[in-house]
Amino acid sequence: MSLRQKLLLLFSLTVAAAVAAVAWTVLVRIRHVFEIRDQEETALFVSQFQREFQHRSAEVAAAVDHLAASERARAMAFELAQSGDVAAYLTEAQSMAQDAQLDFLEIVGADGKIVSSAQWPARFGYAEPAAANASTTPFLKREELPDGSTALGLFAVHAVGGTEVRLIGGERLDQSFLADLPVAPGMQIGLYSDANSLTTTVNFSTGASTPALTAFDPPRLLGPSGAVPAAIQYKSLIDAARTSGQQVNGIVNPTGRREDSLNATAIPLKNEQGNVMAVLVVAISRSGMVEAQQHIRAIAYGVAAGGILLAVLCSLWIAARVSRPIEQLAHAAEEVAGGNWDVRVPPRGRDEVSVLARSFNHMTEQLQSQRDRLVQSERVAAWRELARRLAHELKNPLFPLQLTVENLVRALELPEAEFDEVFRESTATLATEIANLKTIIGRFSDFSKMPKPELERIDASEVVWRVALLHFPNLVRKGGRSVEKSTNDEKIQCSVEFSLDPMPLDADPELLHRALSNLVLNAMDAMPDGGVLTISAHPKGETVELRVADTGRGMTPEECERLFTPYYTTKQHGTGLGLAIVQSVVADHAGTIAVESPPGCGATFIITLPRSAA
Amino acid sequence: MNAAAVVMALNTACTANCPWTAVRAVGSTLVFTSDSPMPNLPALLAGDAYLIALTRSADGQTPANPIGTGPFQFTSSNNGVLTLTANEGCWQGRPFLDEIVITGNRPIRDQWLDLSVGHADIAQVPPQELRQAQQQHLAVVVSPPVELLALEVSDTGALGNAVLRAAIAESIDRGALFNVIFQKQGEITASLLPQSLTGYAFLFPADRDLNKANELRGGLTPPPLTLAAEGDPTTQLAAQRLALNLREAGFNVQVANAHNAPHADLALRKLPLEGADPAAALETLLRSAGENVPVAGRNPNALFRAEHDVLDLKTLIPLLDLPRAWAIGSRVRDLRLRADGTPDLASASLEGTQ
Repeated sequence: MSLRQKLLLLFSLTVAAAVAAVAWTVLVRIRHVFEIRDQEETALFVSQFQREFQHRSAEVAAAVDHLAASERARAMAFELAQSGDVAAYLTEAQSMAQDAQLDFLEIVGADGKIVSSAQWPARFGYAEPAAANASTTPFLKREELPDGSTALGLFAVHAVGGTEVRLIGGERLDQSFLADLPVAPGMQIGLYSDANSLTTTVNFSTGASTPALTAFDPPRLLGPSGAVPAAIQYKSLIDAARTSGQQVNGIVNPTGRREDSLNATAIPLKNEQGNVMAVLVVAISRSGMVEAQQHIRAIAYGVAAGGILLAVLCSLWIAARVSRPIEQLAHAAEEVAGGNWDVRVPPRGRDEVSVLARSFNHMTEQLQSQRDRLVQSERVAAWRELARRLAHELKNPLFPLQLTVENLVRALELPEAEFDEVFRESTATLATEIANLKTIIGRFSDFSKMPKPELERIDASEVVWRVALLHFPNLVRKGGRSVEKSTNDEKIQCSVEFSLDPMPLDADPELLHRALSNLVLNAMDAMPDGGVLTISAHPKGETVELRVADTGRGMTPEECERLFTPYYTTKQHGTGLGLAIVQSVVADHAGTIAVESPPGCGATFIITLPRSAA
Repeated sequence: MNAAAVVMALNTACTANCPWTAVRAVGSTLVFTSDSPMPNLPALLAGDAYLIALTRSADGQTPANPIGTGPFQFTSSNNGVLTLTANEGCWQGRPFLDEIVITGNRPIRDQWLDLSVGHADIAQVPPQELRQAQQQHLAVVVSPPVELLALEVSDTGALGNAVLRAAIAESIDRGALFNVIFQKQGEITASLLPQSLTGYAFLFPADRDLNKANELRGGLTPPPLTLAAEGDPTTQLAAQRLALNLREAGFNVQVANAHNAPHADLALRKLPLEGADPAAALETLLRSAGENVPVAGRNPNALFRAEHDVLDLKTLIPLLDLPRAWAIGSRVRDLRLRADGTPDLASASLEGTQ
């Protein structure tokens, strides 16, 4: 990743994080404010609804009160007190309930037994406990019905005149009751009524009994128009109200969509003993709030996205502005590393980057100057070395030449026969030494005019085998990977190893042969007392590795370091050009050469050449 | 009218549980065949269940509607209004009334209103409404008990155990039915035939014994039972009261309409108490209840034993003997009630008519 990309990423992330943090804070705050307002609104609606519920309770009480105060009821109470004959009033409760539009009405005699019942006419003569616990305030009661079911009702009790006869009237808490209640737009109401809202669990070890909540039954949650859809969603709320006996608020999501969610309040309805008989659920739609929130959120997201986009563009500009000089510096540094020391960076401004640019330019100028001086000094040194080597090489044959010529001059004074013999010997010596001079000059000439390699597809094993056979003709190839060891003069043993896998090379076979031969000759020279010469070729990844190893005395690290320097040699009569030629050949084949020489373990030359595609 | 017409009428009237195995006409004679003696056959034939309607005229044609053989003959039926006219050729002689118009499906209160304004001369008064009719100063004639309100208990299924049926019998509060629902009309009874007919009805205890009922039931908890009742509100109310009684004794009973529960565990029914002959009345009653118990003899001991044996099965629990009552208009003279509690219109006349 480039510096510009890093800067861009850093700036963008920083700005995006800042924008996101601001947007998130704003959204959270707005949501909080909306929810508080929503809860306040819900509480207001619930309060209004509870007042309406109480109003309906008061209406029931008033209806019963009105009935009890009627002349008809008074006459009935008087007759009951006088005659005690209840048979005449068997259907009286039905008639009175119809007149008063009450769902439930029971006339209870002074003995606490039912005289007449509108909801269950056959119950006459049975005791009605509610009459004994009568109070003027309305109360909830679960009423048994003839079909075996029960119904929850809002009841009120009132004595008729000054008698002990009581009227217990009530209104059924059912769908029609809910339908009559005024509801605000977006408000939903439901009534969860369970025949046995609480069962009792007895601990037989302690004897204690605790009320246990009956399982929530979704069909029992009724709204004004029947069963409430997705009633199971209200389970936790209703169960909490049933368990705690307290009003419970919560958010219900019937469809899973947030805009359909409801702010619900579960209001437990209790009887006079404080037992929860039913749970009234008042739910206010949150769609308005959710839509407003979504609208604000969309705007916030839009602003944030715009801000981030703008920030990215600004970051792009800033990053480009900041990174351009550095990129130029980096590019210039690459150029310098590539050998182009003439490159310069234009300095702009007065900041640190411009200082760096100026320093870079100064540095390249210094480097260029030093390189020129170094080249000059190296050139001088090379000439000196060459002169020294030439002088050394030429001085050896020149000395015999000089002696021979001086012998010839002195031989002029010898008799003719002796002179002839001296002359023949001197000319032979002169010819030999001149040949030596020619050889020396030929080596220098060869090094100076190294031919350009003519590449062709060869296998490394062929080159290795050819070089080995040249120096060790008795080698016998056996098997695939290796050959038998062979000796040339019974002092040096040769071992050749190469892989059976193809090791194709694009190389000049003659040059490569020459390089390997040089290495083999060096190795043989390194083992004057005999040893083992190992030549190997193995594929190594995308390259082919050729190794020439000896078991001679090895080399010191300093020798290893200077080994490939031209005209450097450790031999008494070496020119110092052999390894330089080898390195030149290897370099011409895009390969590398290295040497390993652990102390006392001989030396190993490693040529690594790129492997050709098969 | 000939023997073949009578056979046809009898076969039409009795399709199942007949007193006889077969009946056929031999000339002008009817031949009844039965596997057992039929000492009560004449009395049974005299009952309303076997009324003979003329289904074929003298010329051999089959009339569109039965025209009757009694003092009145069928004339027309239109929109629930049945018109009968005096039968000039009745063997009893021509009745005083020329025509009778019977309006069906009319609420009791409307009947009484018609009576009070002179639009009707006779109106029905159910026993439970008798007290109210008297409070409204209607002239009411009341028959002796002519119907038995009884609880039929299935002896199969959940109530196959006779002890449970006995517990049901003990748990019933007849007093509440009599005093409140039927407004103290009729008689509380635990026997099939009324006291006035047999003289031994008091020997069957009619008191409720809830403790005994619970004791009999023991720890047994039968599955929910169904009590079928006929559709009229009073019978339904009585059934609900019985269900309450039974609930106190540990039975879970649901009341259903008889049409909707043909195979209910319990059924509240009104059975006819016809005729002055106790043996024939008992046989008629048992046949109406679907029982086929031969009546051994006519002496009270045999009758008591037969009735006792039936009641011991606890498949039929008598509750109340109910009368029939009629409110009559001021114009009606000489109206008498027959043995089955129905008005004998053949003997009645209207004041101011010829």
